[in-house]
Amino acid sequence: MLFHTTQFFVFLLVVLAAFYGAPRTWRRVILLAASYYFYMSWNAKFVLLLLVLTAIDYTAARWIARTSEGPRKRVLLVISLAANLGFLGFFKYYNFLAANTALALGMPANAFALAIILPMGISFHTFQSMSYVIDVYRGQQAPVINVVDYALYIAFFPQLVAGPIVRAHDFFADLWNWRAPCCEEQLRGVLLVVFGLLKKLVIADPFARLADAYFQNPAASPGWFAAWSGAVAFSIQIYFDFSGYTDMAIGLAQLFGFHFPENFRRPYLARSITEFWRRWHISLSTWLRDYLYISLGGNRRGRARTYANLMATMLLGGLWHGASWNFVIWGGLHGALLATERAFGVRERREWRWTDPLRVILTFALVTVGWVFFRAATFSASLDVLARMFGGPAGKWLWPRWQVWFVALIAALALAEERWDWFARVVRAPAWAYAAVMAVFLFCLETIGFSDRAVPFVYFQF
Amino acid sequence: MRRCILKPLVLRLGLAIIFFFALDAAAFRTGHYASILEPNSTAGFLQSFLWTERHRALDGPNQVLATGDSRIPLRARIANAAGTGYTFATIAVPGTTPRCWYYMLRDVDPDRKRYAAIVLSANRYDDREYEDPTDRDLDIRYLTPILRLGDLFEFGWSFPTWNNRGYAVGSILLKGTAYRRDFQDYLVNHKWRQKLVQFENREGGQARYNAQWGTDSLAGMSVDWKTRTVDLPAWMTDPGRRQNTADLLLRDAPPLTSEFAAYRRRWLGKIVARYRGTRTKLIFVRLARGPVVRPNLPLDEGGTLREYAAHGEVMLLDEHLFDELERPELFGDALHMNGAGGEIFSRKLASELRRVLGPPQGAR
Repeated sequence: MLFHTTQFFVFLLVVLAAFYGAPRTWRRVILLAASYYFYMSWNAKFVLLLLVLTAIDYTAARWIARTSEGPRKRVLLVISLAANLGFLGFFKYYNFLAANTALALGMPANAFALAIILPMGISFHTFQSMSYVIDVYRGQQAPVINVVDYALYIAFFPQLVAGPIVRAHDFFADLWNWRAPCCEEQLRGVLLVVFGLLKKLVIADPFARLADAYFQNPAASPGWFAAWSGAVAFSIQIYFDFSGYTDMAIGLAQLFGFHFPENFRRPYLARSITEFWRRWHISLSTWLRDYLYISLGGNRRGRARTYANLMATMLLGGLWHGASWNFVIWGGLHGALLATERAFGVRERREWRWTDPLRVILTFALVTVGWVFFRAATFSASLDVLARMFGGPAGKWLWPRWQVWFVALIAALALAEERWDWFARVVRAPAWAYAAVMAVFLFCLETIGFSDRAVPFVYFQF
Repeated sequence: MRRCILKPLVLRLGLAIIFFFALDAAAFRTGHYASILEPNSTAGFLQSFLWTERHRALDGPNQVLATGDSRIPLRARIANAAGTGYTFATIAVPGTTPRCWYYMLRDVDPDRKRYAAIVLSANRYDDREYEDPTDRDLDIRYLTPILRLGDLFEFGWSFPTWNNRGYAVGSILLKGTAYRRDFQDYLVNHKWRQKLVQFENREGGQARYNAQWGTDSLAGMSVDWKTRTVDLPAWMTDPGRRQNTADLLLRDAPPLTSEFAAYRRRWLGKIVARYRGTRTKLIFVRLARGPVVRPNLPLDEGGTLREYAAHGEVMLLDEHLFDELERPELFGDALHMNGAGGEIFSRKLASELRRVLGPPQGAR
C-alpha cells in the first residue's frame, strides 16, 4: 500500500475516522492495529519480524534500565544491538557478503546466494529501535512500560517504511501528552500531504523517467551535456521523491497529533557538503552523528581521528543505503569531501555572500557526481557515466523545455521558501489564499501527476 | 479533532475544491484546449471531424449530413458530384456508436436548423447486433471534449459498470483527468502540436473529402457454408488478417438482446426527440451486410427503428436498397466496402435521398 495510491487514501480516511471516533484509551491500539495492517498489506509474514524485534528491544530496554552500570548492562545492550544488526545484516547484507566471499574464493558470485526478500522499512525501524535502546542505556530515555506504546513507536505507519527516523523522546512526548491537532496543525498536515504527493508525482516521477532513460543506456545519448542532464534529472528525482514521501509522513503524523522532525531543508541550496548534510535526510545524519560519529570519538581526539571518524561514519552511512560497493563509494566520497572541508575550515554560516551562488552550484555538482554511484547499477556503469560527464563532445540536454522551466520555477520557490518561508505563510494565510494554493497543487496533480507508468518511492528499497 | 476546530479546515478544503474546478474549467472547458488536442488521438480524431463540419461554409439550406461508424461508405465528394441539389457531408467516425452520434450531432448542429436531412447508418433495422456497445469506454474517450456538466448523469449512468461510470463522470467533472496524457504530450511537444493542429485544420477536412479509398478487393473469394470454410484471395497474405476475415464472415447471426434494444431506444430516441418538430428529416439507411451474406439469416423485422418510422418520426430507406452491393469485389474486408463499392453506394444513396426528400429547397 504505497502512499500515492487510492487504496492508501481510503485506508487513511478509515483510520482517521476510527481514531477520532474512538474513546481516547483505544486510540493508540487503533493506530497500532492500523500500522500492522499497513505493514501486512505488503507482506503479512514479515510482521513477525517486526514483532520479534519489538519484543527484544522492549525487553532489553527494561532490563537495561533495571541493571546498574557495569558489564551486565553492556551485555544487554550488545544483545539488543546484535539482534537488530543481525536481522538487518542477514536480510540486507547477506547476499552482498556472500557474493564478495565467493568471488574472493574464485567461485561464481551466486555460489552462496539465498533468495532473500528485504523486509520493508527494516533499515529505518532497526535504527529507530537501536536509538531507543542506546538512549535508555545512556540514561537519556526512561524505558517504556506499556508495550503497545513501544510497539506503536516502532510500527507507526506514516514513518514505518522510509522514516523520518523519529527519536523516542520526541515520539513519546507526543504520545503521552497527546492533544488533538489545532487548526493550524490540521491545515499544515493536509497541505503537507498534498504537497508531498505533488513533489512525488509531479516533479520526481517525470524526472525519474528521464533519469531511467539515460542510465539504462548512456551510450544512446552521447555527450557530456546529455550525461549531466541525466545525472541532474536523478538529483531532482531522488530529492523530490524522498522529501515528498517525508512531507507526506510528517503531514500524516500531524493529522494524528504527532510532530515529526524536519527531514529536508532545501539541501540543493547548500553552500558546502557540510551544509548539505545539515539539510539532507536530517534524521539520518543526526542519528549517524549521535550514535556513530560521537561514539567513535567525534572530533575530540585530534584531527586525524576526526577525519577517520567522518570517513567511517559516511562509509557506514553509505552502506546503510544498500548492499553494494556503489553505496560504499558514495558514502566514501561524501566522507572525503566532509573531511576536506573540515581541513580547509569550511564552516556553515547564516548570512549570504555574493560568491555563494557559485558555491551552491559547485556543491550541487559534487552531490550530483555522488548520485551517479547511487543510481548506476554497477561500479563500472558509474565510471562510464562519469567519464561521459567529464569528457567527449557536448551532446544535447535531454529534458523537454517545459521541465527546464519547471525546474526554474522550483528553484524560485525554494529560494522564496529559504527567504520568506512561504509554506508556513500559506498555512496561516486567509482561507481563500490557502484554498488557491491547494487548488493549484490539485490541478498539477490532475494534469501532470499521474502517468501510465507508476514509479515506486526510491527510498522504499532501503 | 473536535467539531469546532474542523471548521477552518473544511472551509478551506471546500474553497480549494471550488477553485480547483474553476481552474480545470478555465483550462479545459472553454473549448480552446479541445481545439489543440493531438489530432491523432482518439478525442482529437473526432474533434477534427467535428471541427471541419462546424467550420464548413454552407451553400444553402439543402445540407445532408451522414453519421455512423466506419461501415458507412459514403464519399461526400462523389455524392455531391451526383448533382442532386443537396450538399453532402459526413461526420462518420470509425468506432462510434449511437451514443456518440447524439453528442456529435448536438455539437455540430446546436440550433437544430442546419440540415435538411441527417442520414444514420444501421447494420439492420431490427434490434439485432453483434457487438454490445452499452459499456464501450471508447465512447468516453471520443466524447470528452464535447460533454458538458449537464450530461453528468445521463451519460455517466448510461454505462452499466461502475468502472466506466466512474470514468465517465470523472471525465465530465474534471476534463484534466481525461486530457492528462494529451496534456503531458502537449507540454513536451507543444510547438510540433501547434503546427500539427494548424495543418489539420487547414488541410484535414479537404484531405478527407478528396481521399482515395482503398483498392483492396475480395473478388474471387468464396464461402462453403456447409463445411464453414472460406477461400480468400491470394493477395491477403497476413495470416492474422485472413483468420479475422474468415471469422467475421462465418460468425453466427447477430443475437437479439433486450440490452441493445434498450440502448438503441435510448440513444436513437434522443436523436429523434432532438429533431422532433424541426425541418430536419432523420433517415436511416441499412448498409450492405458484407461481401457475402450467410444463408438463413433471421428476417429483419420489427425493432425500434420501424416503430419510429411507423410514427412518422424517421424515414427508413428500402432495406434491400444496397443488397446488390453485397458482392466480394466491392468489399476490402469482411465489413468494409472498398473504394469502388463506396462510389456506387454514394451515388445510389444520393439519388435515393433526392427521391425521398423531394426537390431541394429553392430548386425550380
